[in-house]
Amino acid sequence: MLGSIFLSLALIFSIISMIMYFLNYKGYSNTLNYGRLAYHGMSIMVILASTFLFYILLTHQYSYHYVYSYSSNDLSGGILAATFWAGQEGSFMLWLLLTSIVGIFLQSYTSKRGDLEPRVMAVYTLATTFLLVMVTPWFKSPFNFIWAEPIYITIKDINPSFLNQSFIQSFLFSDGQSGQEYVKMTSQLYSLLSSMGISVNQFIIDGRGLNPQLLNFWMQIHPPILFTGFSMSTVPFAFAVAALMKNDYKDWVRQSLPWVLAGAGILGLGIMLGGYWAYEMLGWGGYWAWDPVENSSLIPWLVGVASIHTLLVQKKSQSKGGIGKFAKTNLILCLLTYVLVLYSTFLTRSGVLGDASVHSFVDPGMIVYLFLVVFIGTFIVLGFGMLAYRWKYLSENSVEEEGLLSRELALFTAAIVLSTSALIVLVGTSAPLFGSSVDTFFYDEMHIPIAIIIGILNGLSLLLKWKNTKGSEIIKKSTFSIALSIVFTALAVVLGKIYNPMMILLTLSTAFAMFVNLDIAIKIIRGNKKMLGAYIAHIGIAIFILGVIGSAAYSKKIDLNLVKNKPQDAFGYHVTFTGYNPIENGSKYAFKVELKKDDEHIKVAPVMYISEYNNGLMREPAIITMLTKDIYVSPLGYDEEDPNQANGKTIKLNKGASIDYNGVKLTFLDFNFPPEVRAAMMAGKDFKIGVKMTAESEGKIENFDLTLINKSGERTFTDYKLSNNPVKVTLKNLNASGEVEIILADTDNQNQSTVMEKQEVLSISASIKPFISLVWSGVLVMVFGFFISVARRLKDSLL
Amino acid sequence: MNKKYIFGGTIITIFLALMVYLFTQSNIQYESDFSKVAVKNKTVKATGIWVKEKSYELDKTNNIFSFYMKDENGNEMKVVYNGTIPNNFESAHKVVVTGKYENGVFHARDILTKCPSKYEANKVKTSGI
Repeated sequence: MLGSIFLSLALIFSIISMIMYFLNYKGYSNTLNYGRLAYHGMSIMVILASTFLFYILLTHQYSYHYVYSYSSNDLSGGILAATFWAGQEGSFMLWLLLTSIVGIFLQSYTSKRGDLEPRVMAVYTLATTFLLVMVTPWFKSPFNFIWAEPIYITIKDINPSFLNQSFIQSFLFSDGQSGQEYVKMTSQLYSLLSSMGISVNQFIIDGRGLNPQLLNFWMQIHPPILFTGFSMSTVPFAFAVAALMKNDYKDWVRQSLPWVLAGAGILGLGIMLGGYWAYEMLGWGGYWAWDPVENSSLIPWLVGVASIHTLLVQKKSQSKGGIGKFAKTNLILCLLTYVLVLYSTFLTRSGVLGDASVHSFVDPGMIVYLFLVVFIGTFIVLGFGMLAYRWKYLSENSVEEEGLLSRELALFTAAIVLSTSALIVLVGTSAPLFGSSVDTFFYDEMHIPIAIIIGILNGLSLLLKWKNTKGSEIIKKSTFSIALSIVFTALAVVLGKIYNPMMILLTLSTAFAMFVNLDIAIKIIRGNKKMLGAYIAHIGIAIFILGVIGSAAYSKKIDLNLVKNKPQDAFGYHVTFTGYNPIENGSKYAFKVELKKDDEHIKVAPVMYISEYNNGLMREPAIITMLTKDIYVSPLGYDEEDPNQANGKTIKLNKGASIDYNGVKLTFLDFNFPPEVRAAMMAGKDFKIGVKMTAESEGKIENFDLTLINKSGERTFTDYKLSNNPVKVTLKNLNASGEVEIILADTDNQNQSTVMEKQEVLSISASIKPFISLVWSGVLVMVFGFFISVARRLKDSLL
Repeated sequence: MNKKYIFGGTIITIFLALMVYLFTQSNIQYESDFSKVAVKNKTVKATGIWVKEKSYELDKTNNIFSFYMKDENGNEMKVVYNGTIPNNFESAHKVVVTGKYENGVFHARDILTKCPSKYEANKVKTSGI
């Protein structure tokens, strides 16, 4: 209840704030303070609601549907707190919370810069209003009670002391297939419970738990950073609309630059951490899979970064008066950044991608779908409607003259190339909307030429002067960098065995960008350090691209089946599996693998376990990070093979079916599975299931039984040697649906006296990923560069 | 003519052309009807469910994973994948395989498993104890 009350009040405050700010913009000067008060009221309510969500999660209040669905008693500390954003409802809540907090800073920032505040905040509160409607009980509220909609709760989550009481019997159900039992939690059951004075928190004592793929350190960090980036993308949109409202395009450029830079830095960091998480967890095959969810955060980032480049030109060209160059381009890009964040939310949360993504959310229902459409539609109409309205004025007042070799044109081209990249990813990601999809090589192939152009522009634009540059001057300035990058590329070709011409070109252009930036950075490092931002960010991007070339295009992979204590050779190492250890109280197993080369001796331990959450086999790779490469060891499976059975033939038989084996006709007649055995099995006690068989040869019939014995949870199977034929029949497995698996072996050829030991086999996939650490460090350097620029532009924005 | 438009226009035109070309090359259709999967001689994304009754086979020595899949109309096909069993396979309620149908089996190069994020009501049969 409390959570929904906070959110309802927040929604009311948000609407009041929006109206008050709008009225202030329309000339009612006395409404400004009401707008501010209401905004802060809203923020406080959202923070209270979020605190309440943390509280019910940390205290395990399973009477809330959200708490039951995403957390459980065995979670604690940071991971338990991170279940806040494990589900769709909570991640909207997180988005709302961060948007509200960003807004507090934005309100303070805009209040110090002329008459900016009412316009910006009126648009901003429209965004918070939409998010607040999203978390109302009709859409995606995390505060709905568990009985609001009927839900099946597995019996082990229910307090056992209530299970044998009579009232509950009509709410018990069992799944015919798996034998699992459930309690159907409904509002009826709730009223029954409350009439007896039992609270739901007493009745439901454990939750469903967190998906094991989210049980990771980065779960605590990646989503908040990513959503901070999403929240901050609202700001350039609000600034652009504010400029259009006033029809004044001078100040908004320098005022919005720090926000655009900071937003792009944070979103970039968030995307990279997501990639690192994917790399560390298995199942995604690397750090970037062009999955729709990954793509949809990349698209707004690319557009946001594009806008930085042209915003700089507009700002520079304003020094001679007028609105400056590329005003329309900038407005479009700033509006698009937020619209694309909304579009990506639509793609990943409306269920439209369904089959296309590993981790898009399941279908949330028609009403949420429609609401998301209205949400995006409103912002598109508002932003682009305003732009269309001012288009004529903008066209008449724009300045459009620059030399071919000018920094203006190079920066504009950079923005175009980045936008093209965004468009490519957008087209590929949206393809499932039309029942189609693209192979990942679509993205890879498209981005090689783009990355080459980015490298050239990245270096060139910094050699070019504003307005116009002489060709000879560029050649003079760039000789050193060009020479260095040619040497670098030659080394990469020889040492790294890079023979693909596109890869050589890409290495060359990226190295060029890196050395030009490095050259300039070193020259100015003694001067004004605040100017370093752009160069550091560009060095970061160059390092990143070099890392991608190494790790994506030149990684090597090999699959190995390692028999315990028998070394195999891979990548010049002797690889040995030496056994496994239970870890984390026996819930997981670490498989010890040793790699030896000369005096290098590396021990790794990839992990496998059966997750209770979904009964699936989960695997976690082990990563060895070295200076020039990572060795990535991912487990595939583990098997204990009994070589005494290995020369047998495995056969599956359905009830009543027969098989001929060396002149013997074997028939599977029936199971020996009386009701008392079934009861013992259900109760989890020891039991035996018999398999009735006959063997027929030369008119003689021999009846025999094979048995599955389950003793204290461990299964064993019996075998039988036919008396008239040299055949041994071993039971391997049986299936209640009426199928048995048997192993048939000749007792003749088998040397009975030598019984071989069981073999333990670990299957792994090992890969070498050269220079992958450059991918992470490149992004970190870039983000660092963004923030140096933020500091510089923040000062500018006060002018 | 403004240089801005010449530059921007050229880049966009080249990449649009390249994109359209690559899009048609890398385009994969979704197909939920296996009778159509069998006749199409091209890579598709076949969606359906795993036939649990027929279990699956894991050939460790050759590293081949195979199982049966069926579509909404009950058409079954055998799927062969060069690799090991994917995470979450057992609990998947829906499987999307990318690949090609050849010689009576579907050769998958990618398997995507969709897991129910909540217990679904229809999974539980209403047979009271």
